[in-house]
Amino acid sequence: MQLELQNIKKSYGEGGSRIEVLKDISLGIEKGEFVVLLGPSGSGKSTLLNIIGGIDNADSGKIIIREKSMSDMDEKALTAYRREHLGYIFQMYNLIPNLTVRENIEVGAYLSKNPLNIDEIIEVLGLKEHQNKLPSQLSGGQQQRCAIGRAIVKNPDILLCDEPTGALDYNTSKEILALIEEVNQKYGNTVIMVTHNDAIKNMADFVVKLRDGVIRKSYRNEEKQKAAELDW
Amino acid sequence: MKNPLKKRLLRELVGDISKYIVIFILLVLSIGFVSGFLVAGESMIIAYDESFEKYSIEDGNFRTEDKLTESQKNRIENKGVTIYENFYVEKGLDNNTKLRIYANREEIDRVCVMEGRLPEELLEIGIDRMYADNNGLRIGDTLISDGKSYTIVGLVALSDYSALFYSNNDMMFDSSAFGVAVVSKSQFEEYGDSEIHYNYSWIYDNKPADDIEEKEISDELMEYIADKASLENFIPGYLNQSITFTGEDLGKDKAMMQVLLYIIIAIVAFVFGITINNTIHKEACVIGTLRASGYTIHELIRHYMAMPLIVTIIAAIIGNILGYTVFKNTCVAMYYGSYSLPTYVTVWSADAFLKTTIIPMLIMLVITYFILRKKLSLSPLKLIKRDLSGKRQKTAIPLSKGIRFFDRFRIRILIQNKSSYIILFVGLLFANMLLFFGMMLPPLLVHYQGIVTDTMLAKHTYLLQIPAGTIDSDNELSAAFSYTFLKSKINTNNTTAEKFTAVSLKTIGEHGARIEDVTLYGIRDNSRFINADFDDKTVLVSSAYADKYGLKKGDVVTLKEPYEDKYYGFKVTGTYDYDGGIAIFMSKKHLNEIMGFDEEFFSGFFSDTEITDIDEKYIGTVVDEESLTRVSRQLMISMGSMMYMVDGFSVILFIVLIYLLSKLIIERNVQSISMAKILGYSRMEIAKLYIVPTAIVVVASLLISYPILANVMVAIFRAMLKQMMSGWMVIWLDPSVYVKMFLMGVITYVIVAVLEYRKIGRIPMSEALKNVE
Repeated sequence: MQLELQNIKKSYGEGGSRIEVLKDISLGIEKGEFVVLLGPSGSGKSTLLNIIGGIDNADSGKIIIREKSMSDMDEKALTAYRREHLGYIFQMYNLIPNLTVRENIEVGAYLSKNPLNIDEIIEVLGLKEHQNKLPSQLSGGQQQRCAIGRAIVKNPDILLCDEPTGALDYNTSKEILALIEEVNQKYGNTVIMVTHNDAIKNMADFVVKLRDGVIRKSYRNEEKQKAAELDW
Repeated sequence: MKNPLKKRLLRELVGDISKYIVIFILLVLSIGFVSGFLVAGESMIIAYDESFEKYSIEDGNFRTEDKLTESQKNRIENKGVTIYENFYVEKGLDNNTKLRIYANREEIDRVCVMEGRLPEELLEIGIDRMYADNNGLRIGDTLISDGKSYTIVGLVALSDYSALFYSNNDMMFDSSAFGVAVVSKSQFEEYGDSEIHYNYSWIYDNKPADDIEEKEISDELMEYIADKASLENFIPGYLNQSITFTGEDLGKDKAMMQVLLYIIIAIVAFVFGITINNTIHKEACVIGTLRASGYTIHELIRHYMAMPLIVTIIAAIIGNILGYTVFKNTCVAMYYGSYSLPTYVTVWSADAFLKTTIIPMLIMLVITYFILRKKLSLSPLKLIKRDLSGKRQKTAIPLSKGIRFFDRFRIRILIQNKSSYIILFVGLLFANMLLFFGMMLPPLLVHYQGIVTDTMLAKHTYLLQIPAGTIDSDNELSAAFSYTFLKSKINTNNTTAEKFTAVSLKTIGEHGARIEDVTLYGIRDNSRFINADFDDKTVLVSSAYADKYGLKKGDVVTLKEPYEDKYYGFKVTGTYDYDGGIAIFMSKKHLNEIMGFDEEFFSGFFSDTEITDIDEKYIGTVVDEESLTRVSRQLMISMGSMMYMVDGFSVILFIVLIYLLSKLIIERNVQSISMAKILGYSRMEIAKLYIVPTAIVVVASLLISYPILANVMVAIFRAMLKQMMSGWMVIWLDPSVYVKMFLMGVITYVIVAVLEYRKIGRIPMSEALKNVE
């Protein structure tokens, strides 16, 4: 098991306005799996992703990654953990506005001792002709490709994607999903993707459905669909 | 692999060029201006100090009625001194000024040639450089005296006349009306015996260790010379204002500049604080993403510190270059405008470098580091969500629906941006403080000019010069005899004249305060000039004295004899409304008794009209309107030009700060403005929503800052003047300055608002699409 969550609980607010966002979540994820965390707004899926990513803390419970407990890690160790093992893709691309596409990808490469070949990544992402442009010169889809490049160039063990298609149109969304699928297959990273789009579950190896902070259903897909075949 | 974030730096500089230019200007001006001033001051002080040895400045001088014979000279020299002839003549010139002309000096008080050469031929003259400046004279011009025409061949500085005091008893020098000059030996020999003043300078064979020992030796020397020759004047070096005044005064401006420096450092720290804070706000999402990707806090701190640090270093280098060239030259010109100093060499000032460069840079480093450290320690998630404050307003403050929608919107903006507006208020307070500092001093000086003349004790006050030995001789019989003889010489038939006793004592410098002279006036009963009732115990301190030291009824002031270990305590019974000086008033009888004088003793006259029947040599100091305005005039000359520089500097900083702070408000609201655009608000409507609240805050901040500043600045001025000056300047704040400052603030903001209006037009609607919670 590459990643194991045991009895994760998380709440926000105090007293009467206290909201339990995650209620005793447990699950295990295998290496190289494409996982989709599915649920409506407020179901706790993004919070769960952020806890896995070490940018938010659980109130209780354990996260074990490659047989190490995250709760034993201090801030420095957590940063090192993110640096070495994680790649992040957000709904908003958060690219550095005054760096070119290539340079934004280099920002990710800098963090790795063995980064992937930048030219190859740019090629895979279809950004070759845009590599010297600034983010403001790109479309939303192209910017998200760049953000994916920044996340995967360091060849992370786990790629965390928080609604990566949330701000994109149908076609662009499908392109981005196909790209993440390709990355997963080509480089063998574990992908954990948060989405409220029900259709995306069909491309996952492992689907976790969340509602009101609890896992309503989790299952492994017997028959996966290709991203290109998805429709919604 | 090199950190790719480094590639951002240059683009960051170009992208936010206006902010960096503003910071750059702020630093270059601060560093340049203050270091220029400190370097000039230090170079001048060194030039002044070194001039004693370099030009063999005398240890004292005396003047005799007749030329000393060789044997008289030898006998005086046996008292441990070497005597040099330093004769002079005084000539009135056709330009209504007076020149004291010496033969060129070769052994003592040597002359520094500033421009041209020393006179060699008959009718050639080298005149004091400052006197020449003040009278518009140049080399090649001619001066006419007694029908003779002198050609100016050189502009010089006489080492014993760095301040051009005509008489050592004068309260202030006047370098427009009086100057010194040198002519060749052959020219000097042309002057008749009757014209020559037999002045001698001396150098001690063994220099006294301090002023107290110097006083003992010089007193003894004076008595000895008086015994051997007819002594007209005797000035030991340590009392010679022409020599010592400049040295004492050079340090005074430094106090003012240091106050300015502290204000500047506070402003620089503040500006760095807000700019770095603003950068973090702007870049929060990127920072959060980088942190989530695994960038360490220190990698990001280094990255975000790099640009401010580079700008600071470049500004420090350029500021120092300007400080040592342009600004230094301006300040040096200012000193040369006040004093007749010899040539100087620019010195490297470690103190100036530390205060103007190292300290601001350290402040920048520390503030930037701590703000970054604090903000970047927030979780990546908070950064991505731009949740930087830690606290969030949970419920909306209810606003009446009766308030117009636009006004409610503006109130919401004020509430939402309250932290930015607090920063704006603090920034304006700093900017106003600097402006206040620059603008208040000149009217203060002018007002002081008015006060000293308006509150003169009498139209003419004469302080008599009582020859030594007359009152403090150990031989009382001889003293009594001398005084009886003197009385016939120092009486006047002027019916408006009123006798008084005046004694000068010194403060004891409690709690590290400056030691200064206090004049004690002994006033006769029913005085026509001093409007107060005196009994045996009445001790009134002048209002200036009371104000400076916070004296009130019942306090005891302790004063001492200069150079003697004799102390006097006076219990204050009230104040006398006199702002012209640090003085104590009591009955003449009381003062004479305390000082051990005869009951009839007096040492001065108040008079409505000029006293003409007392020999000039018995008159020490004359205080009249002319002499008093001379003090303030010279103050205006020596401080005025600097004040105007401070003024100009303050105005620039004021503009820079308002610009920076207003920019900050708009930048913080970029997303809301963008959203308003998407909703269909016009640029003018958005400007009304976002610029009007800022304008209200600017106006309110300006108005609120004035009473705060008035109190703070009065405290600063008091501390500064206490350190700077003997005597006292009653602190008066010119109300018209508030109006000028307000107008300047509003006009500056209007200009900035126009720039902001343009900026609003350039904000893209896509800004609103960035994720915020």
